[in-house]
Amino acid sequence: MITEERDELIERAARSLAVLPPANHAVVMGIVQAARAHRRARPSLVTQFTGWMRAPSLSVASATMLAAATLVIGFVSGGSFNGAATAAADRGGVIRGGTTLIPAADAGADSRSVAVPMLLDAPSAKSVAVVGDFNDWDPTATPMQRFGGDGPWTVTMMAKPGRHLYAFMVDGVLTADPRAPKTKDVDYGGEASVLMVTKP
Amino acid sequence: MMKRPLSLVAAAALVAIAASTARAQDARLSLIRDDATRDVVKAQLASASARGLPVDPFMSKALEGVAKKAPPKSIRAAMAALEKRMRSASDALGPLSTIDELAAGADALSVGVSDKTLKQMRTAAPGRTIAVELGVLTELVARGVPTKLATKTVLDLMAKGATGVQLTALGRDVQGDVAAGLRPDVALDLRGRNVLSLLPPPPTVSNVNVRPR
Repeated sequence: MITEERDELIERAARSLAVLPPANHAVVMGIVQAARAHRRARPSLVTQFTGWMRAPSLSVASATMLAAATLVIGFVSGGSFNGAATAAADRGGVIRGGTTLIPAADAGADSRSVAVPMLLDAPSAKSVAVVGDFNDWDPTATPMQRFGGDGPWTVTMMAKPGRHLYAFMVDGVLTADPRAPKTKDVDYGGEASVLMVTKP
Repeated sequence: MMKRPLSLVAAAALVAIAASTARAQDARLSLIRDDATRDVVKAQLASASARGLPVDPFMSKALEGVAKKAPPKSIRAAMAALEKRMRSASDALGPLSTIDELAAGADALSVGVSDKTLKQMRTAAPGRTIAVELGVLTELVARGVPTKLATKTVLDLMAKGATGVQLTALGRDVQGDVAAGLRPDVALDLRGRNVLSLLPPPPTVSNVNVRPR
């Protein structure tokens, strides 16, 4: 696939991610328009998306609405937090099978989770997930979806503001994010990718 | 008459919460397939709990080891090292610290930030959580900014009213500058000045209300 086509796919993936959550359409469109305004000065769409990804700007209101809606749906459908979902929810929210669960106790101003779009360009991968301290390094917690059949792998996940260490699980192999800064892993050796999440 | 039913409801709620927490922990432990590793993790969780530390960061550290296919010995060592850092962070940040603050404080200690600095940061922002600020400091040091300079800059910006958003942006900008080849200390100096320029000026004598004598 030629580079131009891949760039177009990545841009479409960015637009697709921006759709979540639907209640935040105006804000997301603002982000997309701002990104487009910067496009001329940026070398590539990949870089453009990466910059956008590093500055998640979903509003407090929409994140809270998403959390409330998810909780209500969960209760109405008779579901309950259990298993690893409960565990991760205890830590501030988790995406499992596309469902975002955020405990009501985390509605405090400083610990509120925010939506963070993630992207990996791995054309030959069969399965990709994002793992990190925000989801207990659980490879089943945050699976990524391929955009447009053969496009980049994407997901929008929830993470608390602050510094997080993470990696991608590509076909069962832990892989650092090629676009993120790395830091030394003092406990297990090797390197981990760093994600800085901004307060909403 | 109403007191007893209310007590019963409260007790039932507590039991339900405890049961739910235990279930959550068990569920996460079930992610560890290897019996030997699970036993190691259980023992370390019990140790942390006995010391009054929150178990979530320890569970996460253990599962990180599982994801990285670390042997039980390494997981035990990693959890023990984390316990040491969490205890230091807890002592430095105080008993009212949140789990996020303790985890962020432990991360800061892992890159060489001192206990004294954690205490200074708590003193600089006594009434609010400083998990984000600790994360920014950790990241600056991890990028190669000298610890002393990073600490001074972050504390200075906090004292002048810099928000978590501004500090996180500072951290990201320094990341980018360093990746582009700029010296870490120079990058922090430049970006720190930029944040300072965005902060409101301190009150001057002319705009302070002074009661005439």
